[in-house]
Amino acid sequence: MKPPMKNLNLFLFLLLVLGLHLGSVLSWKKEEFRNCNQTPFCKRARARKPGFCSLIALDVSISDGDLTAKLVPKTPDNEQDPDQIKPLILALSAYQDGILRLRIDEDPSLGPPKKRFEVPDVIVPEFASKKLWLQRVSTAKIDGDAAPSSIVYLSDGYEAVVRHDPFEVYVREKSNGNRVISLNSHGLFDFEQLRAKREGEDWEERFRTHTDTRPYGPQSISFDVSFYSADFVYGIPEHASSHALKPTRGPGVEDSEPYRLFNLDVFEYIHDSPFGIYGSIPFMISHGKSRGTSGFFWLNAAEMQIDVMATGWADAESEIALPSEKSRIDTLWMSEAGIVDAFFFMGPGPKDVVRQYTSVTGTPAMPQLFATAYHQCRWNYRDEEDVEHVDSKFDELNIPYDVLWLDIEHTDGKRYFTWDRTLFPHPEEMQGKLAAKGRHMVTIVDPHIKRDDSYHVHKEATQKGYYVKDAGGSDYDGWCWPGSSSYPDILSPEIRSWWADMFSIENYVGSTPSLYIWNDMNEPSVFNGPEVTMPRDALHYGGVEHRELHNAYGYYFHMATADGLVKRGDGKDRPFVLSRAIFAGTQRHGAVWTGDNSAEWDHLRVSVPMILTLGITGISFSGADVGGFFGNPEPELLVRWYQLGAYYPFFRAHAHHDTKRREPWLFGERNTELIRDAIHVRYMLLPYFYTLFREANTSGVPVVRPLWMEFPSEEATFSNDEAFMVGNSIIVQGIYTERAKHASVYLPGKESWYDLRTGTAYKGGRTHKLGVSEDSIPAFQRAGTIISRKDRFRRSSTQMVNDPYTLVIALNSSQAAEGELYVDDGKSFEFEHGAYIHRRFVFADGKLTSVNLATTSPGKSRFSSESVVERIVLLGHAPGPKSALNEATNQKVDIELGPLWLQWGRGSSVLTIRKPGVRIGDDWTIKIL
Amino acid sequence: MKLNMALGFISLMLCVFFLGSPVAVRSVSASLKDPFIGIAPEDEKYYKTSSDLIKCKDGSKKFSKAQLNDDFCDCPDGTDEPGTSACPAGKFYCRNAGHAPLFLYSSRVNDGICDCCDGSDEYDGKVKCPNTCWEAGKVARDKLKKKIATYQEGVTLRKQEVERAKLGLAKDEAELSKLKDEEKILKGLVQQLKERKEEIEKAEEKERLQKEKEEKERKEAEEKANKEENKAEQEANPDNTAAVENTDSEEKPTDSMHDDEIGLLEDSSSYQDVAKDNDEPAAEVENSDTPGSEGSLVNEVEQPAAEAKEESAVSPDSGSKGNDVSENTEGLSKEELGRLVASRWTGENTAKQTEEVDATKDNDHEEMPGGTHGEESDGYASETDNDNGRYDDDNDDVEDEVDEDFREEDHDESSSSYNFDSEIESDLSDITTPSNPSWLEKIQKTVQNVLRAVNLFQTPVNQSEAAHVRKEYDESSAKLSKIESRISSLSQKLKHDFGPEKEFYSFYGRCFEGKENKYVYKVCPYKQASQEEGHTTTRLGRWNKFEDAYRVMIFSNGDKCWNGPDRSLKVKLRCGLQNEVADVDEPSRCEYVALLSTPALCLEEKLKELQHKLELMNKEQPQNHDEL
Repeated sequence: MKPPMKNLNLFLFLLLVLGLHLGSVLSWKKEEFRNCNQTPFCKRARARKPGFCSLIALDVSISDGDLTAKLVPKTPDNEQDPDQIKPLILALSAYQDGILRLRIDEDPSLGPPKKRFEVPDVIVPEFASKKLWLQRVSTAKIDGDAAPSSIVYLSDGYEAVVRHDPFEVYVREKSNGNRVISLNSHGLFDFEQLRAKREGEDWEERFRTHTDTRPYGPQSISFDVSFYSADFVYGIPEHASSHALKPTRGPGVEDSEPYRLFNLDVFEYIHDSPFGIYGSIPFMISHGKSRGTSGFFWLNAAEMQIDVMATGWADAESEIALPSEKSRIDTLWMSEAGIVDAFFFMGPGPKDVVRQYTSVTGTPAMPQLFATAYHQCRWNYRDEEDVEHVDSKFDELNIPYDVLWLDIEHTDGKRYFTWDRTLFPHPEEMQGKLAAKGRHMVTIVDPHIKRDDSYHVHKEATQKGYYVKDAGGSDYDGWCWPGSSSYPDILSPEIRSWWADMFSIENYVGSTPSLYIWNDMNEPSVFNGPEVTMPRDALHYGGVEHRELHNAYGYYFHMATADGLVKRGDGKDRPFVLSRAIFAGTQRHGAVWTGDNSAEWDHLRVSVPMILTLGITGISFSGADVGGFFGNPEPELLVRWYQLGAYYPFFRAHAHHDTKRREPWLFGERNTELIRDAIHVRYMLLPYFYTLFREANTSGVPVVRPLWMEFPSEEATFSNDEAFMVGNSIIVQGIYTERAKHASVYLPGKESWYDLRTGTAYKGGRTHKLGVSEDSIPAFQRAGTIISRKDRFRRSSTQMVNDPYTLVIALNSSQAAEGELYVDDGKSFEFEHGAYIHRRFVFADGKLTSVNLATTSPGKSRFSSESVVERIVLLGHAPGPKSALNEATNQKVDIELGPLWLQWGRGSSVLTIRKPGVRIGDDWTIKIL
Repeated sequence: MKLNMALGFISLMLCVFFLGSPVAVRSVSASLKDPFIGIAPEDEKYYKTSSDLIKCKDGSKKFSKAQLNDDFCDCPDGTDEPGTSACPAGKFYCRNAGHAPLFLYSSRVNDGICDCCDGSDEYDGKVKCPNTCWEAGKVARDKLKKKIATYQEGVTLRKQEVERAKLGLAKDEAELSKLKDEEKILKGLVQQLKERKEEIEKAEEKERLQKEKEEKERKEAEEKANKEENKAEQEANPDNTAAVENTDSEEKPTDSMHDDEIGLLEDSSSYQDVAKDNDEPAAEVENSDTPGSEGSLVNEVEQPAAEAKEESAVSPDSGSKGNDVSENTEGLSKEELGRLVASRWTGENTAKQTEEVDATKDNDHEEMPGGTHGEESDGYASETDNDNGRYDDDNDDVEDEVDEDFREEDHDESSSSYNFDSEIESDLSDITTPSNPSWLEKIQKTVQNVLRAVNLFQTPVNQSEAAHVRKEYDESSAKLSKIESRISSLSQKLKHDFGPEKEFYSFYGRCFEGKENKYVYKVCPYKQASQEEGHTTTRLGRWNKFEDAYRVMIFSNGDKCWNGPDRSLKVKLRCGLQNEVADVDEPSRCEYVALLSTPALCLEEKLKELQHKLELMNKEQPQNHDEL
């Protein structure tokens, strides 16, 4: 009887193996990650009923330009109770441009067992100078309250209110008293203070095989935040889920988890889930048709869980809460540790909120031009021959690319900063060959350091005591690619500086100035740690527990690496570092990608809301792995991914090492052509993209934007995350299904849209059902805009520097349009000293004018360009004009019919000003005759 | 210092001046000295027309002579901009005197990178490209000359090969038809002998019955005489019967167990098929083609079982990778857990890794079990795919031994190319070689004699004559089965595609080896390809077909890769004087490529092409040298 049974098992096993092989089995290991119920602080916070909080504000006063108060229980506890709640210190500060900051912490003068962790180096230093020194606090009884409220000035239109009893903080509009954002309106505020352990009390927490010693016991914080006049809330990345956040609790929501913010290396994450993945930005934005946009940011790096309540949730839970209001969205924020350091942003426009948020955490770094072009990656390009072959194949097929990437296998046994000398005997020469074609290389450097005494990095880190310690005080020993590994304690500025020095050309043997860096696994990923990461009781610099800074570990690592590249280039070369882990402020240090996605249509689809959400929370330089990391994409999916990926801010193809090779030429001539076309689109639009990167760099407004950011009063755009805007001029909609023949595309606004390839006009403010071919995905230019292009496809962006421009003018209903162009040297920091060209092109009254936007002042650096405008395309202009006049030279130039895209040649005929004879950096006017 | 500053100031001023002057627009076309730059000589006629308008080659529109190379794209196909980068579809021609002319993508023109050895693609003054055509041309010419020499010799070798193939094929065909004739005759003889044998047996049976009858009568008579003594004998009889029954009952369970096992194995083979995604139909067809026998049937069934065993040996690990690990991880040490989680990404065998301290680098080691099993199934494959196993006289009974022999043979052979057929042919020499043409006649004669000699009506049957008949029958039918299997193997062989001129005929039955790092790669056309490391053999693929006009050999459906495709090998063929495997590579996981140089690819047309190319290069050469 036995053998058949055994064979049955074998049979089942083989079926499973087969299934896996086909990639049809989801292997996200849900049970390896904690859910809210398995996370005591989350479970406790979620179980509280509205009205739970009994704190009131006392001793309200102005001190050091802040409003300060004490929070104490309304009915004092028994004085003998050792757990008696001590007064908390509240401080409210106002900053320029409608930003309110609220801090609540334990009173240091009362001798808490330990100082709670405040996240350093996230708020930019300049922010401090924007503080408004509050002078006056007024007191009033609002809305028939029995107790008074204290009111301070916030900005012209807004004031901040602290209601004393029950304690509540909110911002309201001065003119009508309407609330914008409030905290603790439902009385869910709770602050677990540090205390001595009671006898017999067990603070340890166990999850699966792991034990968290929790030497400081419970210390979580939770509170409710309400957004008024809000139709949707967005933000709090990183999750693979819709852009508009779905409610996680309340009527109609079944069995859902809160949105989790805990940086984790999740193997084969699924495409629609509130579970935490690689990054955490505790910043939420609300938007509504009636008022506009507001934002709330909690600077806290511990694990966070956030509930978005469905309308009517409070009715079901308690009558004490605010009555349900259709246009209010309530949220519950829960964190395991840290303090309350929260920021309220008033908006009122979507771009205002992003500007306000990035004035706190910094605007995105200006990338080098090459980094905005196409990147070719794979785990792994095996050896120098492979690199040379792939590189030459791009040339052979006339496909541009700028960066070739090397994954972990290029190292000597996963010892970063080393080379496997059998596979890569001549790394400098290899990089040199790429650099000769203007190309760059990226190698991977992860935070896990192989515990090998002969490895210099390990030796030094051990000797200097630079590793994170375990709960017992020894160097923490975890498992990652190299096997037994330790992790630099990158929280310490000294250690960051040591790490940064690793990247100098002398220290990183085999590196050259054209080599840039990729930080992977920096959540940090620890294969044998709890939830595949570092234990929460591991110890960092200054006695900080890992639980307190976990979500920022990768951020500091990213920061130190980027600093290293700046140091390497003597402060003259902009760094490029791609990071997987994300925290608030990451935008200052480099690009991110959405991690290990899968070669599935659903993952193509979810890449858009993921990138949009990162964008509105400051991270404008992001992208998803084109093709999908796990699994083998069908050629059609791969092509569609390239067509969409060409519009991602960060455009990189990548693949797992078990997948089939998928360089652009491996799927037959037709698909090669389609992929080449898609990549060409990106190269053609590089001047436009680069201008958008600069806009992000100055204002925080992301390169790729949700439709509602450009059309904030149009409700149809609020939850649309199939389409997105590239800047303010181009709308793109992906094709997310196989063999699609049609696509429904909503084109917002009142003005028309011009098909990017054909120039065909479509009316705005409606949904168009469009025929779709394999050639391209729907993309349109908005009437009233001017886009700068470069239409010559070189080997890489480097050779395009002096190429001439094409300006595409899409006229609106009043025959007007405008657009901007930003150009600099693409590499250095000289632009910070004024070395750039910034033009505004304005078309009105039959004239196109180029106006200088760069601020010029003596002593500033300058940048000039030889590039000319070779072609000006007019969309939506009445037919007829045969020539135009360059007013500066008084020269007549021809207007003829030509193609909108050269490589699409015949078929489309648009008005084209041929060789207008103007330089891109000059002032000029061209008049249509 | 001061001077520098002053200079800096002046240049800054100049720069400002330059910037401020809208007239100073630099046009690339201004630096174009030759309006016909980028045009191939054979194309110049097209542009040097008398009319002022020139047509775009695609017929889409016309452009004026002034618009030729004016750095603005008028023709979508690039006709008007052969010398600039304005048209994405354009091609730039560089003469490269001293070397070979070249067409470039127009995107290479004035991009700051020297592409043409004469430097003509970079004329905007930003970079200076030295003329390297003479040196490059010399290197290229030398290389080309060498190549031509190889081809010249190779073409001869190839011709010989083709001739040999013709002869070989003719021989095979002749042999086949001869064998078929012989088979026919022999079949007749065997039939006759069989009939005679049966007649003899019938007669013997009759005799036996007669004898028994007589015996019985005699016994009965004796019984009557000696009743008393017979008692003991009678008691012994039932014992005997019992013993016989016992043997029966012992055998029966064995049978049923065997049945069970077969059933079970069939099960396993069926799921094996599912698991392998039916990727081995070819092998199965071959199996069923070969004359079936008990032995081979068992073998066929055993093979998947062996594979299944191997898979199951890997299973605990791969199962945990792929699936629910929740039960498994609890009991793991920290290190095991680390390895396990790592293995999700890498697909590596964690159990193995735990043993090997520093194994993380080696991606292949988890395939070792698969490799071993590959070796085993190799053995079976060589038996099933192959013709040769059948020639042994007593093949039916000792199938396994035959397998052993062939496996050993495969291993012992160490020369880089060898013929596994030759030995078999010599084995068959007694029946096939021309030196022994009359063996059939001999047999015929013998049989006639035997048949004549046997007197059927003679009673009792002459024992020596009967034995003679039996012996002749056994021998003849053995010969017949040899011939049959030889016919089958020959027809199999002749079914193969040996190329348009049968130039690959000699590849049949041969293997080519190449060493790459620690591996030995063995390519056996029309059979299979494998990778060997020490005693571990991994099958990279079974013979599939030629592709790309006989320039590529495809071996597919090799051993399975964990979490990857079945292994496969693409062998690219190049002209060379010897059959040599080189440059084995694995560009994609478990998809191998290799180069095989062989005279079979040394085509005469290609040689002419190369010679022509050299002539062209030589023509340019002196001229250019003078220029230098």
